[in-house]
Amino acid sequence: MATDPTVSAANKQVRLNQTADQIVDPLVPAPYDNDKAVQPPRSGFRNVVATTTTYLVLTALSVIVLFPIYMLLLRALSSPLKYISAGQPLYPVSIEWDVFNRAFGQASLGRSMGLSFVVTFVIVIAQLLTAVLAAYAFAFLEFPLKKLAFVLVIGTLLLPIEVTLIANVEIIRKLHLLNSVPGLTFPFLATAIGIFLIRQGFLGIPRDLRDASELDGYGHLRFLFKVAMPMSKAIIGSFIVIAFLGAWNQYVWPRFATDRGAWQTVQVALRTIGSENPGELNLGFAAAIVASLPLLALLIFFQRQIVRGLTAGAVKG
Amino acid sequence: MAAPARAQTRRFGNKVKDAGLAYLFLLPALIVFSVFSYYPLYRLFWYATHTQSRFRNKPASYVGLNQIKASLTSNDFISGLTHSGLYMLYTVPLGLLLGVMLAVSTHRRLKGIKVFQTIFSSTVASSVAVASVVFITLVNPEIGYFKNVPWLSLRNPSTALFAVSLSSVWQNLGLTFIVVLAALQTVPDELIEAATLDGYGAIRRFWRITVPLISPALLFLGIVLVVSALQAFAQIEILTGGGPGGATETLLFKIADPRGIRPLGVRASYSLGLFVLTAVVAGAQYSIMSKRVHYGD
Amino acid sequence: MSAVAFDQVTKKFGDTVAVDEFSLQIADGEFMVLLGPSGCGKSTALRMIAGLEEISSGILTIGERVVNHIPPRERDIAMVFQSYALYPHMSVEKNIESPLVANKRAKVDPIERLRRVHEAAETLGLTEYLARKPGELSGGQRQRVALARAIVRRPEVFLMDEPLSNLDAKLRTQTRLELVDLHRRLGTTFVYVTHDQVEAMTMADRIAVISEGRIQQVGAPQDVYERPANLFVASFIGSPPMNTIEGKLQGATESAPPAVLTAEGSISIGHPGSAVTGSELVLGIRPEHLHVTDPVDTPNALRGTIQNIELLGHERHVVCSVGTTLMTVRQPNDAPPVAIGQAISLQADPSGVHLFDPTSTDRLN
Repeated sequence: MATDPTVSAANKQVRLNQTADQIVDPLVPAPYDNDKAVQPPRSGFRNVVATTTTYLVLTALSVIVLFPIYMLLLRALSSPLKYISAGQPLYPVSIEWDVFNRAFGQASLGRSMGLSFVVTFVIVIAQLLTAVLAAYAFAFLEFPLKKLAFVLVIGTLLLPIEVTLIANVEIIRKLHLLNSVPGLTFPFLATAIGIFLIRQGFLGIPRDLRDASELDGYGHLRFLFKVAMPMSKAIIGSFIVIAFLGAWNQYVWPRFATDRGAWQTVQVALRTIGSENPGELNLGFAAAIVASLPLLALLIFFQRQIVRGLTAGAVKG
Repeated sequence: MAAPARAQTRRFGNKVKDAGLAYLFLLPALIVFSVFSYYPLYRLFWYATHTQSRFRNKPASYVGLNQIKASLTSNDFISGLTHSGLYMLYTVPLGLLLGVMLAVSTHRRLKGIKVFQTIFSSTVASSVAVASVVFITLVNPEIGYFKNVPWLSLRNPSTALFAVSLSSVWQNLGLTFIVVLAALQTVPDELIEAATLDGYGAIRRFWRITVPLISPALLFLGIVLVVSALQAFAQIEILTGGGPGGATETLLFKIADPRGIRPLGVRASYSLGLFVLTAVVAGAQYSIMSKRVHYGD
Repeated sequence: MSAVAFDQVTKKFGDTVAVDEFSLQIADGEFMVLLGPSGCGKSTALRMIAGLEEISSGILTIGERVVNHIPPRERDIAMVFQSYALYPHMSVEKNIESPLVANKRAKVDPIERLRRVHEAAETLGLTEYLARKPGELSGGQRQRVALARAIVRRPEVFLMDEPLSNLDAKLRTQTRLELVDLHRRLGTTFVYVTHDQVEAMTMADRIAVISEGRIQQVGAPQDVYERPANLFVASFIGSPPMNTIEGKLQGATESAPPAVLTAEGSISIGHPGSAVTGSELVLGIRPEHLHVTDPVDTPNALRGTIQNIELLGHERHVVCSVGTTLMTVRQPNDAPPVAIGQAISLQADPSGVHLFDPTSTDRLN
């Protein structure tokens, strides 16, 4: 459908002027624009009532959704014993501003955060590398047993770490990799989801581009780094963010691949921080807040990528 | 383009030349998968068909399928299965419903809607461990804000699992919201307008037009939530430690066996049970998704 | 009684005025085409009739009713969207039936529904496709389903938003005929939006030419073609477009009729209308009213050089540079042969001359 580009830009501007931005963006293919109204326009007084009601409902829902987080913050800052004896009000009691310091000091929060970062980075980079290479093979190369290889990759979806847990723990133990970075990362160096996502991105590269590169004399490696990956930047970005999310949030594996306190990632450490002493409960809550900060940062700065990564399998376009 | 002679020298699609490179590229991933996915599967079978001896140096003895059979029919396994099933029941319908509610409420032109959208998707930033700690502040029997609410009691065996599952429901809000909202946004403007012109009222329009059109996304979410329920462990360990009296021990919890009370062979049998369960869910997903007719684009 | 009447209707999006004081009467049973370039406001005007856009000011009536605040489903209209907007999860039959079951209050009974659906399907040749889903149909078929869904309601007014733009050229021509035929058979008022002037010319009873939210001219196709009200209409309608050149009006003398003097020669014209002698104006002349002659310095010709010759099979278009402008001449194939680079003179039929005011762009004669 051909529309004069300057005019459709003008149209878009007109529409943007009248509507609010949306958090989710170009997942929607043109020509449908992002600003969708559910109801037809209504006029005058009825409109005002409807709008106010909507705002009220949305605010109420927001309060419900945010309440647990508020509680966490509240309990992190309040002195645990005094808060309880004050009858658990909805406002902070006897604020201990040094709780974060103490979490880092006493509870070695810094160490577990650091370990989490290391483990996460290793996993994400490794997953990226293995996924890109494997995806390239599936997307651009022909070879015997290609179908079998694909099935093998799909098969791993039936074997998440939860299923293979105890066997993998034994393997790591036998390799003397308990309580080590390799032990924490090895099972996750490759992931089928990553391979699929990036393969999808590669397959989206127009045939013409491949032919043109071939005519220009590009070898596979050159094509991979100079064409395929740059053109799949969006999907790769999304994958990196989702992989980070997954690796950072892991609990089951780090819990059982380590048995020494010094080797706890932050998620595992959350179980025990502050639990020895009822007067130090707030350390645990503060630690939970700190443990969420990297992800909050991701959500704020890489919203688009997160959304794209999460919806890649679910939503067309 | 030149004549067929090119086919032999084509870089892309040349089977013989490609194979070497392909295998090289696939090697890293396949190695990881073999060592940490497929080999463990074999080991699980091995553990399940052998009993470990009490003594370090005595080898394990082969018992065939007896151990598997006994484990999978034991009360312990059945209770784990039941608890996992209940967890699914608690988290999936509620999760979908709430996600749809939140998404629909913010799928409109309104000033500042983006703020609400950010708020509703925020729980996607929480991990299971964090969500569990958050819920300690709400349902923990000693210090939880709602500790006196009877149907949220972690001390009562019949309500404990439900209370724990709410932490998952809350955590899943972000994900379900984001996915449903994205799906709603793929429903073309003109389709909704056509429905309005046809005479559909807002509610009928939602059920007759919108819901069918976002059903693939809803199905996808349903599967994701089911799988996530099967993987419930951290929240159990952090909130109840499996209690009261084992009332919150899901299948995975029993497999992970933090207190070390189950023999390896039994746990391996349970793992195989979990494997079958996961395969069934994945199979269901595949058949449902592929049955889905691709609507005209 | 007019089917649809716009009375000073305005539509604003924030500060942007999309439709500016539209006043238009569309007669009952008429095929009215809203014609204009993309973004001119024609679709907005259509959507206001449908009730999909709110009216900022002015009065819109359908039939005898003022409909400004009446919801779409109570306006007795039907609309065919550019993308057809068919429900992908419903069969063709269910799609067509949709308007009859959508409104719970106004639900039509099952037997009558079946009858109407089949009637509509037959009218549009869709009977054998009733069980299929839209995804299985071709573009042309989908469009007919959209039409069937519209006619099954038996509305007072049909609205169409560029329904042919997603079809390939051949299908477009065919469907044009079918739509005109449909209009004849049904006798309902059609309000049709398009940017394609060929569609407008071939289908409309009357055309409303719209630019930047304002109606430029309303009239029967031939009238709009032969007497465009301003430069915009003159250059928008007609293919190849009207040639224009700037000049000064010279009054009639005893020996010569009035003429327009341009940098490349002068052209005799008929009656100068309201143009004032000595004033600057823009002269318009359609390609079929220009003739190529040898460069003998006749007083009534423009000097030019042939830049390009386009052979169309049934005629040819000779593109000439006249001073700084380009002018196109339509010639039959048997006209004397010409060559690129040839210096020629262009003579104009005085009856085919249009004069426009250079600032207001309004027609002068």
